[in-house]
Amino acid sequence: MGAAAPGPVNDIRCEQLRFARGRQLVLDIPALRFAQGRVTALVGPNGSGKSTLLRLISALERPTAGRVLIDGNAVTPKLVREAVAYAFQAPVFVTGSVASNLDLALRLRHVPAAERESRIREAAAACGIEPLLHRDARRLSGGESQRANLARALALRAPVTLLDEPLAGLDAPGRRQLLHDLPRLLRQFASTTIVVTHDRDEALRLADEMVVLIGGRVRAAGSRAGVFARPPDAATARFLGYTIIPTKDGGVVAIAPRVLRAAPGDVPFVMDVEDVLDLGIRREAWGTIAGVQVSVSLPPGEGELPPRIEVSAPTGAVLRFEAGGEL
Amino acid sequence: MEAIWEGFREAIRLIATGDPELREIALRTVVVSGSATLLAMMVGVPTGYALARGRFPGRTLALGVVNTGMGVPPVVAGLVVWLLLVRSGPFGEMELIYTKRAMVIAQFLISLPLVVGFTTAAVQALPRELPDLLAVLGAGRLRTLWLIAREAQIGILAAVIAGFGSVISEVGASMTVGGNLRGETRVLTTAIVTETSRGQNANAMALGLLLTWVQQRRVR
Repeated sequence: MGAAAPGPVNDIRCEQLRFARGRQLVLDIPALRFAQGRVTALVGPNGSGKSTLLRLISALERPTAGRVLIDGNAVTPKLVREAVAYAFQAPVFVTGSVASNLDLALRLRHVPAAERESRIREAAAACGIEPLLHRDARRLSGGESQRANLARALALRAPVTLLDEPLAGLDAPGRRQLLHDLPRLLRQFASTTIVVTHDRDEALRLADEMVVLIGGRVRAAGSRAGVFARPPDAATARFLGYTIIPTKDGGVVAIAPRVLRAAPGDVPFVMDVEDVLDLGIRREAWGTIAGVQVSVSLPPGEGELPPRIEVSAPTGAVLRFEAGGEL
Repeated sequence: MEAIWEGFREAIRLIATGDPELREIALRTVVVSGSATLLAMMVGVPTGYALARGRFPGRTLALGVVNTGMGVPPVVAGLVVWLLLVRSGPFGEMELIYTKRAMVIAQFLISLPLVVGFTTAAVQALPRELPDLLAVLGAGRLRTLWLIAREAQIGILAAVIAGFGSVISEVGASMTVGGNLRGETRVLTTAIVTETSRGQNANAMALGLLLTWVQQRRVR
C-alpha cells in the first residue's frame, strides 16, 4: 500500500503552562517536553489533569497562562488541523458507517479523494476493523468502537497523535489484544505520540517515555525506565505501584511494584530511597520472603544522603510486597 | 346529532368543491404560519445550539427566558405585539397592526421559544465530545453547525414541528394583532371562531377539518 510515513516529527513543549477552572488551578506545568517521534505515556490518577493537558495541546482549551508549542509554534486550531490526530476516550461517531466516519475525518483534513479510500483500507486492516467498515458506526460494541476510533485517528497520519485512554471500556481479552497490537500500530502510523492512561502496565507496554502527572503537576518525566526506577516522591511511587511502607519515625520506604519478574539483568534491583533519614526497618521483616535478599546501606554521614535498598531475587521469582503490618 | 351530521356533509362538500374563500383562508394560514416558523427556525436553531454548547454570561438567564417563553399563552404574546404595533405604540408609525406581517411577528415570538428549547434539548442530547472531535478534525464553524444539526435532525425536526403546530393552531394572537379581517388577515382558526359565532356550523366544520389536515401534513 505504501502510504507516506507521517510527516516531519514534531516535539511538543509546554512553557509556564497554567490552566484554571474558576479559582481552581487544574494544571501548573512550568516546563515539559514530549520527545519528538517517541511514544510518551502521560500517566496519573483520575482527575490529575491528563485529559486537560491533551485538550490544551489540541487547542480545545486555552491556557490561563503560558503556552503549548508544537515544533516551536504556538498551538492554534489551524495548527491542530494540520498536525494533530486525537482519539478521545469515549469514541464518538456521526451517523453513518465506520467507513463514512473515517472518510469524513480525511475529507475535513483535505485528503484528496483518490487517497482517502486507500488510507481507510490501510488503517482499517491494521486495526482489524475491515469487516466493520460498512457497519453503522454507532452500533459497534465497546471493543469495536475503540478500534474504529483508533483507526480514524491513525488514518490521519498526523505528526502528533494523542490517544486518551485507548483501552478504556474494553473487556479483558479485547484489552489484551489491543495492548498487543498498539505498539505496532503506533510504529506504522504515528510519530510523536502521547498516550493517556491511568494504568501503569499500559504505560510500560506502550511507551518509551513517561510523564507522571499528579494533582495537575508533573512529578516525574523522562525515560520509562528512569521514571519507573526512581520515583521522586511517595505519591508518585504509590501511583507507579510501589508499596509504601511507613517507618517507625514517620518516614516511608517505597518498594518497587511487582518487584521484578526476576530475569537475568533485572537483579539486583537497586533503588534509591529519598526522604528517609532513618529507615527503621527490622531486617527480619523481610525474612518471610523465601530466596530474597535485601540489603540496606546507609551512606556515611548519618543519613545525609539517601539510603539505598538493594533487593536480590532468584531468576523467575515474582515478589510482591504488601504495605502495612508490623515492621 | 342530525345537525352535526348535516354540517359534516356540507363541510365535505365545501372542501370537495374547492370553495374559493375556504381555499384562500387555508393558503393564507399556511403562508403566515409557515413564514413565522421559517423565521423562528432561522433564529431559533443557531440560538438553541449556542445555548446548548456555549458557556457565556447570561446563559442560565437566557435558558430561563426560553423555558418561560415556551409556556406563555399565545394571546399574551399577541397582546405584547399589539401594544408595540398599535398606532399609539412605539412602532405604530410602521402601520403593521392588523396586517399579515403583524401576525407573522406575533407567531414568530410564539414559536421561537419552542424552536430554541427543543433544539437546545436535541443538541444537549448529543455526545459532548462531538463538537470537539469536529474541531480537532478541522471543521469550520459553519461546517460544525451543519454536521451537528444533521446529527440532531430528529430533535430539530421536532422543534420545527412543535413551533409550526403551536402557531397554526393558535387563535388569540392572530385575532389580537390581525383583527380577523375578511380577505386580509382571516386565518383558519379565527375563521372558525367567526363562523361558529354566526351559527355557520358547516363552514366552521369545514375549516376545522382543513385545519386538522394542514396540521397533520406538517409531520410528513
